[in-house]
Amino acid sequence: MEVLSPYKEATEAIVEAGGEPLKLCYQCGICTGTCPWNLVRGFIVRRIIHEAQLGITDFGSEEVWLCATCRACVQRCPRGVEIIDVMRAVRRAVVSLGIGIVPDALRISAKNIAGAGNPLGEAPERRGDWARDLGVKKFSPGTEILYFPCCIPAYDPDVKRVSQATATVFNKLGVDFGILGTEERCCGEAIRKAGYEDTFHSLAESNINTFNRNEVKTIVVSSPHCYHTFKNEYPELGGEFQVIHIAQYLAQLIDQGRLKFSKEINKRVIYSDSCYLGRHNGVYDEPRKVLQSIPGLELIEFPDSREDALCCGGGGGRIWMETVKGERFSDIRVEQALEKGAGIIALTCPYCFLNYRDSVLTMDKSEIIQVKDISELVAEAM
Amino acid sequence: MDEFKPQIIAFTCNWCTYAAADLAGTSRIHYPPNVRIVRVMCSSMVNPMYVFKAFESGADGVLIAGCHLVDCHYIDGPVKCDTMFARLKKMLHTLGLEDERLRHEMISASEGVIFAQVIREMVEQLKKLGPSPFKIRREALV
Amino acid sequence: MEETRIGVYICHCGLNIAGTVDVEEVTNYAATLPSVVVSRDYRYMCSDPGQDLIKNDIKELKLNRVVVASCSPRMHEPTFRKACQDGGLNPYLYEHANIREHCSWVHDDKKVATEKAKDLVRAAIKRVYYHQPLEVKEVPVNPKVLVVGGGIAGMQAALDIANGGHQVYLVEREPSIGGHMIQLDRTFPTLDCSECILTPKMADVGHHPFIELLAYSEVEEVSGSIGQFKVKVKKKARHIDESKCVGCGICEEKCPWKVPSEFEMGLGKRAVVYIPFAQAIPNLATVDVDHCVYIQSNGKKCGACIKFCEAKAITPETLLNQTDQIIEVEVGSIIVATGYDQFDPSVIPQYGYGRYDNVLTGLHFERMTCAAGPTGGKVVLKDGREPENVAIIHCVGSRDQNYHEYCSRVCCMYGLKYAHLIKELTDADVYEFYIDMRCFGEGYEEFYKRLSEEGVNFIRGKVAKVTDVAISDEEKGKLIVVAEDTLLGKLIRVPADMVILCAALEARADADKVASLFTLNRRADGFFLERHVKLDPVATPTDGVFICGCCEGPRDIPDTVAQAEATAAKALSLISKGKITLEAAIANVDETKCLGCGRCEEICTFHAPKVISKNGVMVSELNETLCKGCGACAVVCPTGAMLIRHFTQEEILAQVSALTEV
Repeated sequence: MEVLSPYKEATEAIVEAGGEPLKLCYQCGICTGTCPWNLVRGFIVRRIIHEAQLGITDFGSEEVWLCATCRACVQRCPRGVEIIDVMRAVRRAVVSLGIGIVPDALRISAKNIAGAGNPLGEAPERRGDWARDLGVKKFSPGTEILYFPCCIPAYDPDVKRVSQATATVFNKLGVDFGILGTEERCCGEAIRKAGYEDTFHSLAESNINTFNRNEVKTIVVSSPHCYHTFKNEYPELGGEFQVIHIAQYLAQLIDQGRLKFSKEINKRVIYSDSCYLGRHNGVYDEPRKVLQSIPGLELIEFPDSREDALCCGGGGGRIWMETVKGERFSDIRVEQALEKGAGIIALTCPYCFLNYRDSVLTMDKSEIIQVKDISELVAEAM
Repeated sequence: MDEFKPQIIAFTCNWCTYAAADLAGTSRIHYPPNVRIVRVMCSSMVNPMYVFKAFESGADGVLIAGCHLVDCHYIDGPVKCDTMFARLKKMLHTLGLEDERLRHEMISASEGVIFAQVIREMVEQLKKLGPSPFKIRREALV
Repeated sequence: MEETRIGVYICHCGLNIAGTVDVEEVTNYAATLPSVVVSRDYRYMCSDPGQDLIKNDIKELKLNRVVVASCSPRMHEPTFRKACQDGGLNPYLYEHANIREHCSWVHDDKKVATEKAKDLVRAAIKRVYYHQPLEVKEVPVNPKVLVVGGGIAGMQAALDIANGGHQVYLVEREPSIGGHMIQLDRTFPTLDCSECILTPKMADVGHHPFIELLAYSEVEEVSGSIGQFKVKVKKKARHIDESKCVGCGICEEKCPWKVPSEFEMGLGKRAVVYIPFAQAIPNLATVDVDHCVYIQSNGKKCGACIKFCEAKAITPETLLNQTDQIIEVEVGSIIVATGYDQFDPSVIPQYGYGRYDNVLTGLHFERMTCAAGPTGGKVVLKDGREPENVAIIHCVGSRDQNYHEYCSRVCCMYGLKYAHLIKELTDADVYEFYIDMRCFGEGYEEFYKRLSEEGVNFIRGKVAKVTDVAISDEEKGKLIVVAEDTLLGKLIRVPADMVILCAALEARADADKVASLFTLNRRADGFFLERHVKLDPVATPTDGVFICGCCEGPRDIPDTVAQAEATAAKALSLISKGKITLEAAIANVDETKCLGCGRCEEICTFHAPKVISKNGVMVSELNETLCKGCGACAVVCPTGAMLIRHFTQEEILAQVSALTEV
């Protein structure tokens, strides 16, 4: 039988990397039972925490990289253990101390982000290209709103639909907005969760400087990940901005009577809560409110929604890592949507968008179900 | 120059906050040594004159702390204290004292941790503010 | 005027103080202060030799003021006041400096702590200078006792006091006494039937010549203080003539209207005019006004009970015109035994309580296994079938900072009891999902072992969810309990027909109101706070008010009974002493300064000062038995006529300026 001895130094390394909350864990296992990974494969979250408590963490294990930071476990934890912080700390220990193995796909994305400011390795000078034909102005001091699209809607040929729809809606309504295009860099939320603390800091500092230099006060974002880090993490580094997710902003426009619809969307639409809008930031009602305001649209719910919504699998840097067929949460989600007879899955997150799009394609269901961002639906109905 | 060590006088009610400070002690919850506690039977016993005296004789901050509204041994002492406190705050403001130097808290007998926390916060805040203007004036005159 | 001669004593408290404070330095420092005649340090001032130091010095050095610097005055101020008194000095010529809880225990830098201790001692010395001798007055103790709550705790306390020959008023808000215990089927770990052991006690309470049972009543108002409380009790209208009702139950039988029974946790129904259960004490019918058709129609409809009541206890008059009564009683002490509420698990969405029919709470299950209960003692599912698998989930709402952080103490044991009963009454397999098994009482661990022998499956893991979404054929039609088996490190799904949630005991929803009624303090968890967690567990900060049972925190029956007996002993010792000393540090009016403006009268909650005309001059007069010494009047007095003895302005100002001296 393998005999283990506690290794204090390893625990200390994890605690120093921000894993302090692990001390509180009393090993009840509700995290394991709550974790979506256990729908598709074994992932004993509790054991990871216990191993970290004793310093016997297997830094070489692929389990280090599984957590999608969906926060379902943290929400239920009876001792208030910030399990995501522990997971992130273990990853930081691997990345910064060079113990263990960083998955190739993640390493490449991290390199791209550090180098080009986006995970796709696209040229920074082409970051504003998505808006080229839309008459979007560059943000300058005095502009009311900075629209920050996130790397994926800025570059991905398919997901560009999201940023373009947003700009179209804004233009139609006469919203005073601009973009910073080539000056933006990735927000850094996911790469931080993946353990690259230094990369995050340099991205955040660069963005904060850019925003301050341009006298940015209000930022509207398409990604809940940008939303989360701008709102909750940038202030630690001195970046204080008013941050609004597009779903919230659209809901405000409806409330103010500025946004009105003239077309019907006669579809059954199922809304998928994104983890970073929902569980991380408590925004559940606004996206639903926007969808329900669209004439003809029938809004339905997943069996698990709001606080209990199933993650798409894309948080915590998972979006850049390979998830084998049969283990993709978004596949389960698409099946659930099909069972409910939905024609459209409505989303509020570019990561969800990528995962759901891939699931629909690989499951060969694109004939019967579509994946759309909430801004696209709004643009269509105007 | 020596580091500025703010002096705090805390008027605490016998039943709740004084007991909370006792509990902090029993639980060995450490906090900065800048506070001196004056035990009163109820926070409603604190005469504005005592607070003036404290500032006049060199305190940089004053804490008045008693029970939560529902816990009061004398039923509604905290309400009376509140009324007095509001007036006192205005008077001190007129005299040119920063609002942050006078604090009113409700800390129950079971909240030793909170007592220690409040003291830590006050010390931090007062360090930022520097010595009380009363004290500076007095020292300049002497 | 007499020369002030102060003796100062600094306690080491072993190393508790001396470990952090340089006691010798403080002692030497005190000796240099004006009026200090002697300054000594001693290892333990509270010991007899320590106290003797004070007594001897008072005599030999003619001390007329004493200061001790030691632990909290809440601990030993009475000790040293007594020592002064024994030495021939008025106990109020004493002042205490707290250099342990407020100094040595919260700082670690010896130099800093020593300086702080010096400040505290200096302030005490400056203050004691102004102390005046106070006269301590005594008042007689009313030997009657009020007990609030007719559960096992209140009944036990009432019986102990009444058996000692003293009058008890027992107030219960429900129609019958019995509390939660009478709802229980059997009691762990001995499995004796709750009813069988409780009903004789209930009957004793009902018949006791010294117990006046005020059931279906609530305390409305409490005034006065230890030894002489005045209490107003609202006796709610039962809408029957209590003097005529014989408890035959014919009204209940004939009443055509049924509503869910509170006693049966909604599993059964009761009539609108009802006796909550067979052994109710007092055995009287009560009319549920909100649901009574006769009352709601103002006598136009129904009236079946009137027709059938042979005793003529129910009449149109009682139904339509009977009103609540206010009864005033005077007592010397009060015992609060108001019990607990069961945590409502519907706020934990993932356990499906309220969504799935066969997810029950503990109290539901108690009623189900009770032979006199709604299922006749059968463990059955909603559809009447017997369950094949039952899951019991521990720590529901307890040990969980999302709900209650505390351990609810009784759930492990009652969970085991349910497992036993299921094994006894059905062929079902039982799964207990626990985090830690806490079986700490007499015979408890043995009971746990017995259940292991009976073949109960124990799974260590907090349940993540209860769902009806099946992923295999054997799960179909069942509830599935999902958890990590933390000992295996594997996710486990247990199909079950019935899920029992071991819901926590929590503070009563109206505990805040009860607390302000009796001037009690509450802990962060909502339960009432005892005066000292270890050494004064049933007293409260309010003299003469005691607490016992689950209103103070979750506890089992043996602990509750022991505590109830402790409160009775407290009340009885007060009665046998017969008198109590009044607080001497209360307000005092200097009539020569008083303008009779009435601001003191206005602010006083206790109506102690009153402006009267004395020889044609308006002055404030103080009723000393009503004054509690809070000091609010002195703050509003515009002329300084009102002062609080022992907390006079000059005393506090002296202390404040001494503390800020540098």
